[in-house]
Amino acid sequence: MKRPSTLTAYAFLYLVFLYLPVLFLPLFSFNSGTIVAFPIKGWTLDWYRKLGEQDTLIQALWNSLGVGTVVALLSTAMGLFAARAFVRYRFRGQRAAEGLVMLPLVIPGIIVASSMLVLFLFLSLKPSLLTVVLGHTFLALPFSVSILKSAFDDFDGSLEEASYDLGVGVFETFRRVTLPVVSPGIVASMLVTFTVSFDEFVLAFFLSGNQPTLPVYIWSQIRFPAKLPNVLALGSILLLTSVLLLVLAEYFRRRSSASEVQ
Amino acid sequence: MTVNNIIELRGVEKRYGTFLAASGINLDLKEGEFFSLLGPSGCGKTTVLRMIAGFQEPTKGTVLIDGQDMEGVPANNRPTNMVFQSYAIFPHLNVGNNVAYGLRGKAPKAEIEQRVAEALEMVELGGLQDRGASELSGGQRQRVALARALIMRPKVLLLDEPLSALDKKLREQMQFEMRNLQQSLGITFVMVTHDQYEAMTMSDRIGVMFNGRLKQVDTPTTLYARPCDQQVASFIGEMNILPSKLLGETGNMLSIDAAAFGRIEIERNPNVATSSKDMNIGIRPEQLEIAAEKPEDYPSTVQGTVSNVAFYGENIHYHIQVAGAEKPISVSVPNYFHTVDFKRGDAVWLGLQGASVIDLGTDIE
Repeated sequence: MKRPSTLTAYAFLYLVFLYLPVLFLPLFSFNSGTIVAFPIKGWTLDWYRKLGEQDTLIQALWNSLGVGTVVALLSTAMGLFAARAFVRYRFRGQRAAEGLVMLPLVIPGIIVASSMLVLFLFLSLKPSLLTVVLGHTFLALPFSVSILKSAFDDFDGSLEEASYDLGVGVFETFRRVTLPVVSPGIVASMLVTFTVSFDEFVLAFFLSGNQPTLPVYIWSQIRFPAKLPNVLALGSILLLTSVLLLVLAEYFRRRSSASEVQ
Repeated sequence: MTVNNIIELRGVEKRYGTFLAASGINLDLKEGEFFSLLGPSGCGKTTVLRMIAGFQEPTKGTVLIDGQDMEGVPANNRPTNMVFQSYAIFPHLNVGNNVAYGLRGKAPKAEIEQRVAEALEMVELGGLQDRGASELSGGQRQRVALARALIMRPKVLLLDEPLSALDKKLREQMQFEMRNLQQSLGITFVMVTHDQYEAMTMSDRIGVMFNGRLKQVDTPTTLYARPCDQQVASFIGEMNILPSKLLGETGNMLSIDAAAFGRIEIERNPNVATSSKDMNIGIRPEQLEIAAEKPEDYPSTVQGTVSNVAFYGENIHYHIQVAGAEKPISVSVPNYFHTVDFKRGDAVWLGLQGASVIDLGTDIE
């Protein structure tokens, strides 16, 4: 059966509108001219080569990698306990607690960023990578909680009971049963939260002070027209990395659901 | 020789908010017996099992295991092990590591390996140590769960609906295997089930539960022949229940007016109370004689019409509409006689002996 052609056309246009601009990014990163416009002058890999020579960029990359790693560990650890509690127990105020955890998804980033800046200054915490880590953890928590909640949904609670029943205590049960069984969900959560932090701009812009993360660095470079192709090259690499990480995360998330079905 | 009580429940009650999941449970389980808690779903039987295992604390009352009060003793410190309904096989461990789970770090490696091998041998899974958890069939998962619990050498093995996930053929086979295993090990098995046949074929004694209360604890044969009330009577096997009148009593015998079946002498059931003239009697479908001609040698006979026929293979079930009885009377005839073969609408005679009538006493509301 063929679908109505108007629906197909709509879907096609929708995808073009959504993704074509994104595809221009890598396209122009191979353009030898410095002006981002058609026609393309010639093909070059120079912009990619030059990336490695810029020390401030490399520093920003390390900043982002460091922040991303810490955020992934923190938010996944916190998400693990929250998700287990949400799935395994019924308690007063549960819905409110779940809603609060998910709130960062819908609060405008600029509001979160400015209020956090005010808060940190009030606590005399100077803007730095530490404040970026704190902000990003807040932002990444809803992602880790929802991923891990689905991991615990597929986790048969009697596995933990079976472990207690066999004479193993609470903490050892967590280590020997809970963690290994939800580990694909943990890996998925770490990959996603890392990506969330790695790509985040607004919070990092407000909270990073003089230690820019990669997106903040890119923003600062966009002001110089001569640097634009360079930024495009960098952006293309980030795009590819993010997509790969998310595909990997999805693979692990599905594996965590499949392992219990059998 | 007196046999020790391995488990004693004293006035055990479990309350969730306003809901009474179990109340007034008094139960003594003897060492080495196979005991079943039988009842419809939601009757509290699993709650009782979980209180013995230590997953739930009673709201009231005491649980004693081998004479020790279990209050405040968590599941991991109780001398019981459990086979879960879902089997709860650790999906990230192979068969060998699943079975060895509870012994890790508590015994030398060589000893663990030997005990795993023995435990797997016992459940007929010898040599399958390296098999992955996801490669097991339903029956194999159940055997792994058994081996994993038995390797701990528990004083009591608890089984939560252990056969409900298996298909019919395998279930029947496992009934015998588990019974044999229990006999050869000599440890107490406590099984929760909603399947009366499972409970009857496997158990030394059965406790029947309804609405959080333990109604009757008896051997399968006593439960079948002398149920304590209508509810138990109709839960264990099929039962025709007929309202009757008590006419008189002499010693152990009651003289009753059994409606359509007329006047008949029956034995008093010590498990029930008959407090007024109104009482009920129960007749098992296989205890009735069915014939085309009026049967002789039966003190009570009645004529009726076949309203339904169901062929079960090993026996045939008839529903007989009898004048003066509200519901049709169920009659079951073994197939091997094959002397009876009635069709719907046939006129038949039913014959009844007083000895096969069960006194169900007076309803107490």
